[in-house]
Amino acid sequence: MRAHILFAWLFVVMIGPTAPLHAQSGASDPAAFIGDFSQKGISDILAADIPNNEKQSRFRDMFDQYFDIPYIGRFVLGRYLRLTDEGQRDKFGTLFEDVIVHTWSRRFSEYDGQTLKVNSTVDDGDNGAIVKSQIVGNDGSNIGVDWRLRKRGTTFQVVDVIVEGVSMAITYRQEYSTVISRGGGFDGLLGEMQKQVDNLKGAG
Amino acid sequence: MKIHISGVTSRFASVALVISAALFFSACASRPPADDPFAVAAFEEANDPLEPLNRTLFKTDQVLDTVLVRPIVNGYRAVVPDRGRRSVNNFMNNIRSPITLVHDVLQGEMDRAGVTAGRLVVNTTMGFFGFFDVGEQIGLPYHSEDLGQTMAVWGAEEGPYVYVPLLGPSNFRDGFGFLVDAFLVDPLGWYLGNPRNDLEWAQWGRFGLLLLTTKDATMDATDELNASSLDYYSALRSAYRQIRADEIRNGAPPPLEDFDDFEDFDEMGRISGPGTEGTASVLPESSGIVAQSSASTLAHH
Repeated sequence: MRAHILFAWLFVVMIGPTAPLHAQSGASDPAAFIGDFSQKGISDILAADIPNNEKQSRFRDMFDQYFDIPYIGRFVLGRYLRLTDEGQRDKFGTLFEDVIVHTWSRRFSEYDGQTLKVNSTVDDGDNGAIVKSQIVGNDGSNIGVDWRLRKRGTTFQVVDVIVEGVSMAITYRQEYSTVISRGGGFDGLLGEMQKQVDNLKGAG
Repeated sequence: MKIHISGVTSRFASVALVISAALFFSACASRPPADDPFAVAAFEEANDPLEPLNRTLFKTDQVLDTVLVRPIVNGYRAVVPDRGRRSVNNFMNNIRSPITLVHDVLQGEMDRAGVTAGRLVVNTTMGFFGFFDVGEQIGLPYHSEDLGQTMAVWGAEEGPYVYVPLLGPSNFRDGFGFLVDAFLVDPLGWYLGNPRNDLEWAQWGRFGLLLLTTKDATMDATDELNASSLDYYSALRSAYRQIRADEIRNGAPPPLEDFDDFEDFDEMGRISGPGTEGTASVLPESSGIVAQSSASTLAHH
């Protein structure tokens, strides 16, 4: 088992590009898209001299823009998607975004100059690509992060983040499946997510 | 070759026996009724028929963690600086590397076997008995193999999930592999385990140090997972399987079909075909005892 695997999820936004040459080229190629994302993340949020709640709201905007949240949400629901009505799905979508925004933003203050090094791009089916990268820390540590992208018009959106082999989407999917099947059903899951968001808000 | 079964070995073996007995005699989770396909799919995906027992062991482990393990790790962190702990991890990785070498060969990965052999030589000599990872600096990066991974490469299923207090998540295949590696594959294990050498204390010391370095390396990550999950047990099970799958693939990207489900949900509410049951394929085979390869962590550069 490798270092700081899951912890690294929290660092996925704490990254700076080491390929700034591509960053300006917009998002027409997958590596440039990730470079752009990491550069913005670091300059506008992590390294920015603004209060934490402002960081959080900027992160939410970026997250909406760069990630296909409804798509991820549907993947996470998986087979349970058919068991839900539209109201439940909407509620799930809102809560899921809240969970991620609050979970990640708790760690913004720990940013310590990490940078993102984009290594390669692998084809991932018809409309996608996987960008392989590393988060490199000042102490020489590095964490492998793969970004699973899908083409959206002329640009891309992230549909999964895989840190040292652990997929965020799959982990949420399996965990939520357990929560649903242990008794409370889908509304039970929504209730627990709401509680988690409240706790995270309180702690932050 | 005659294998010496020392006192330490036999005590390990009896612990293993007790655990396996507990596994076999405990109540299993009951399979959901067949007319509830969602519950059945979730049950099969979890591949955790011993879940009630595992959750009990998991809770026990969390108590042990609070009262015993965590204070020790915190003490270790307070006394030994980051650099020192990294050196200890390097050392632990180096003395384990003959096991990796054997499994590189058994998996037919001759290039990686060469890397492992090269590392063993340079780290043991220039790296001062392995405390310094010289190999990493000269382009021989660390990796870890074990019998569980070899069996997976040969086509073995992972078997039911098991949670072992102190050691963490595993499954039948990898738990078996861990024991065989420790007692039959590892040359240092033979030597320390030989009663004529009177080195039982070193065998125990090594085991303790393995637990300590493993916990040190994984504690922050698992704490974070705990803090951010609704069901820590389930999140850990999922993450652990994925890590093992990644190790078995030697870091290659997961096969595309594992993510076919992404294609099934192109529009909200419109699900293409009955393919949602395909979720069982989302996770490739995997998993194993946390302890064995994790000392690598801090050493990883």
